[in-house]
Amino acid sequence: MKLFDPTSKPVERAIKLAPRPASPRGLRLGLVDNTKFNSDTLLKKLAARLAARHHMTVSATNRKRSPSHEIDEAGVAALRAQTDLVISGIGD
Amino acid sequence: MSIDEAADPAALIEAYYDAGWTDGLPVVPPSDASIAATLAAAGLQGHEVLGQIPGRNVEVIADKAATNAVMAGCRPEYMPVVVAAVKSLCEPAFAYHGPASSTGGSAMVLVVNGPIARRLGINGGNNAFGQGHRPNATIGRAVRLIMMNAMNTRPGFLDRATLGNPGKYAFCFAEHEEDHPWEPLHVARGLRREDSAVTLIASNSLYQIYNQLASTPEPLLRCFADALSNAGSPNLRGFNETLIVFAGEHADILKTAGWGRLDVQRFLMEHTRRRVADYKRAARIPGAITADDETTWRHVFERPEDILIACAGGRAGSWSACLPGWGKKWTRSITTRVEGGET
Repeated sequence: MKLFDPTSKPVERAIKLAPRPASPRGLRLGLVDNTKFNSDTLLKKLAARLAARHHMTVSATNRKRSPSHEIDEAGVAALRAQTDLVISGIGD
Repeated sequence: MSIDEAADPAALIEAYYDAGWTDGLPVVPPSDASIAATLAAAGLQGHEVLGQIPGRNVEVIADKAATNAVMAGCRPEYMPVVVAAVKSLCEPAFAYHGPASSTGGSAMVLVVNGPIARRLGINGGNNAFGQGHRPNATIGRAVRLIMMNAMNTRPGFLDRATLGNPGKYAFCFAEHEEDHPWEPLHVARGLRREDSAVTLIASNSLYQIYNQLASTPEPLLRCFADALSNAGSPNLRGFNETLIVFAGEHADILKTAGWGRLDVQRFLMEHTRRRVADYKRAARIPGAITADDETTWRHVFERPEDILIACAGGRAGSWSACLPGWGKKWTRSITTRVEGGET
């Protein structure tokens, strides 16, 4: 008798990580608001602290269609072009 | 993996438990023959891709779907319905990640319409949501096993339900098309009456609605409106999508009054509401209560078609049901035509 494995492994995708910034100082910051309660509040507070400590500036904000949806291609392209560091968070 | 436990089927079932491949209930151990028969019944080759969820790096392969269907106890001829349900899960508009992973713990509710429901004997009559009918139990279970095993949606990992609900084991029923005031659900959603179809909606919960005294639509439907606007209902902010299932006596009241599907939807749209002040008192909307909040209404539904209506259940009894959706803003119900399985 055999066992039949009913599971599937995740499909592998080649992912290339962006180069890590050498220093946090003065980075352009992107914020991704997933639309959950307080997500925007949390992100703004984080951005304010990063601005105070590391002189970062918010250069792009993306508000997702919903927490379930991915950022669309145009949003990804904008973040890629306009930011050095992106923060996403839940908040509730 | 080979296992020398042919003489003891219970040991084989235990091996599936040990591997972590069950939903907590014993599974039917598959064989090459049962998997092949299941694929053949849906006209599939084992390597075919039934659907993808790119954001989760998931591809649902026919062979794995068939294996899980056999494990769930499906007969081969159920497979076309399972495949249609899987395709619905993978529709981008369903937005799988949310309803599958959320703390809300949604059941994947399947409403089956058309000739295949009758041919397979999917129950849409007495105890339509309950136990006792193999296709109802095993088709719904197959979908959940596929989610767990072939779509990597396991409790505690990518299924983060706080409580979950019993419908997460299996939730599949047929619409009672012969006992219906209007056209069936799949026709209302654009398919032909002679088509077979599965409608998938992610639902957190099931409220049974009782009313034995109402003899006209308005008081009857006010019970539904009240249930669907309770202060603890999710998704007050983003407008909801909900499935309502009318059983025989309540459907008769609507039919006798000459109300159409759209009349019911419009009434519910108008009356499913609470004052903003009520929601603020319950901390469902932030902020201090203002004088305007006492007279300002918050409606639950945005459009009539956000209220899906199906008919099922027994002739006797003053019961119907609401199955609030996990949220229109974040997921949409999906109706998929069942391909194959005509004979």
